[in-house]
Amino acid sequence: MMHQRLSSILSKKRCTLLGVGPMSINCVDAAIELANEHEVPLILIASRRQIDSEKFGGGYVNNWTTEEFANYVIDNDKKGKILLARDHGGPWQNTKEVAEKLSLRRAMESAKSSYLADLEAGFQVLHIDPSVDIFGTPDVDEVLDRVFELYEYCWDHAQRLGQEVIFEIGTEEQSGTTNTQEELDYTLNSILKFCKKNNIVQPSFVVIQTGTRVMETRNVGSFDTPVRVANELPAEIQVPQMVEICNRYGIMMKEHNTDYLSDEALQWHPRLGIHAANVAPEFGVAETIALLSVLESNGLSKHADQFLQLSYDSNKWNKWMLNNTTASNRDRSIIAGHYIFSHPDCLSLKKDAASQLAKLGINLEQHLKQQVKKSILRYMSNFRLVGSK
Amino acid sequence: MKRVATIILNRNLPEITDRLHDHLKKYDGDETDIFVIEAGSESGNISQYTTWFADWTEAKANGLRYSRGMNYGLSQLWKEGRFEQYDAFFLLTNDTELQEQPSLAPLMSVMDQHPRVGILSPCSPRWGEKLLLNKESTKYFWFIHNNAYLLRRQFVESILNTDQPDFMNFVFDGSNFRGYLSESELIAKGYANDWAAAITSEVWATENESHLINQADLIKTEKYEENLSLYIEEGQSWLRKKYGFNSRWSMQQYVKSFYDKFFEFHPEFINFKV
Repeated sequence: MMHQRLSSILSKKRCTLLGVGPMSINCVDAAIELANEHEVPLILIASRRQIDSEKFGGGYVNNWTTEEFANYVIDNDKKGKILLARDHGGPWQNTKEVAEKLSLRRAMESAKSSYLADLEAGFQVLHIDPSVDIFGTPDVDEVLDRVFELYEYCWDHAQRLGQEVIFEIGTEEQSGTTNTQEELDYTLNSILKFCKKNNIVQPSFVVIQTGTRVMETRNVGSFDTPVRVANELPAEIQVPQMVEICNRYGIMMKEHNTDYLSDEALQWHPRLGIHAANVAPEFGVAETIALLSVLESNGLSKHADQFLQLSYDSNKWNKWMLNNTTASNRDRSIIAGHYIFSHPDCLSLKKDAASQLAKLGINLEQHLKQQVKKSILRYMSNFRLVGSK
Repeated sequence: MKRVATIILNRNLPEITDRLHDHLKKYDGDETDIFVIEAGSESGNISQYTTWFADWTEAKANGLRYSRGMNYGLSQLWKEGRFEQYDAFFLLTNDTELQEQPSLAPLMSVMDQHPRVGILSPCSPRWGEKLLLNKESTKYFWFIHNNAYLLRRQFVESILNTDQPDFMNFVFDGSNFRGYLSESELIAKGYANDWAAAITSEVWATENESHLINQADLIKTEKYEENLSLYIEEGQSWLRKKYGFNSRWSMQQYVKSFYDKFFEFHPEFINFKV
């Protein structure tokens, strides 16, 4: 039903579906409000680092556990427009599993327990991604074996719970390099055979590399540039090819790392037949910039400086930096801002700032949510989710 | 009689140009005549092999770039009555680097095996397209971004502008100075006239961009980043004015529609479709 509903929306609206990273409570609220105001589906795509079960101590977003996050969304999503999705579930996708250097079997068990918590909480879309391996680089067949094991596990438990679930598969990290036709054909063929043999529903989405890659606050992949990116197929060739293959298999193509693309590039997504696209850090950065701006323009520079220092000290910006970066410390703090929104020191400084801003007639959280809504709305408009019938 | 006319475009880099000339002479001398264009080079920076010198004021100030430069060379061949003696034209910028072996004999062999290929590009080891050339070494594409093309004479004849055989109009559109999407326009003209555009891994070539990055002052051109920004800005303006397209993706769909049509009428080449 869910797959058919999404397919029907895609064919009626000729749109691209949007996956929104739940970067903060304001971001989650913004997505819920927009989906309900415009009566269109939005997919909240929670990574395991953002939201995970109690066993893993929750995630960095609002310190929510899977259950708390799901309950919050389900309670507030009055019209039922939000799809709760696990993004990049799988072994070693939680920092704890990496820190503890879990063995393959233990990491798979751990991933399964996380998926089980997702299903019990009411998640509807599960992304099976066992491409991370802290002990080596598994070949495609090893990765596929892990996909099958997790897929079957999730399907069995969804059946047992009477929970409708659809699947997303994708064996990539943010490599930015392009899939080949052969690789995609092989992967889809193997998975469809597995599903048929085991009488399991086939995946609804497959993650396709279209030439998008996020570094710092830019998309540095080939999608939005007219010059060549070394060893990548130009997006002009890659995208139509991949869309054609996905359509042949009846699986929707999902683009990851869509952040920071230009309006022009986004507007072409529906026209090129890209079925869905994920955006995450851009929304976190939008909120951070809005926070700094409102603090600094209302005499609260001290609070802004404290926030910048706290964010910088988190070192969470590290993985986003380009090799030859020219980013300033402020830039780095902005990149990492959303990781510390739930840090006690940040909560405390925001509380103090909110009370001072309230005296000026500014509702801080409301203001931040509005800015994130603007950022999400840019994607919804360009993807034809709003503004067209 | 040599089957190919190779045209090399130089601007103020005589050593690099001469090296490419000598390379071609050494490995492909039996297959090609070589013509060197000076795109407004300064007097001390002229190749020893110069054939034609674009020495008018604007060319000296701004150079010719690919479209105007190749138009100039091809139209000179036309005016000199030498155009028809060649089967194909190999158009190169001087920063092209070829393998230490013959390039043109294998390229012409591909042309001979693919009678409807009008545009042929060697592949580069730095291109993702190489992954598509495993089973078949030559495939037909709707998008090729390169500065080294072998053009079949019959294809060029189907699109050339004999009313204005000059550096602005002969084959390429010289008003698109920096050449944004000029390759797509050429490929569209190809498929629209029943000629395919192919990439082959039978021959490898690379563009050494370090010359442009490190020697922009010497070449008398803009810095790389500035050039890139102007390339897009001016190109988008050209695209809108000429086609009413506001995006490179419109051009991509335009070319691909011709590409898809080509295979409807030439199912015999379906194995070469990507």
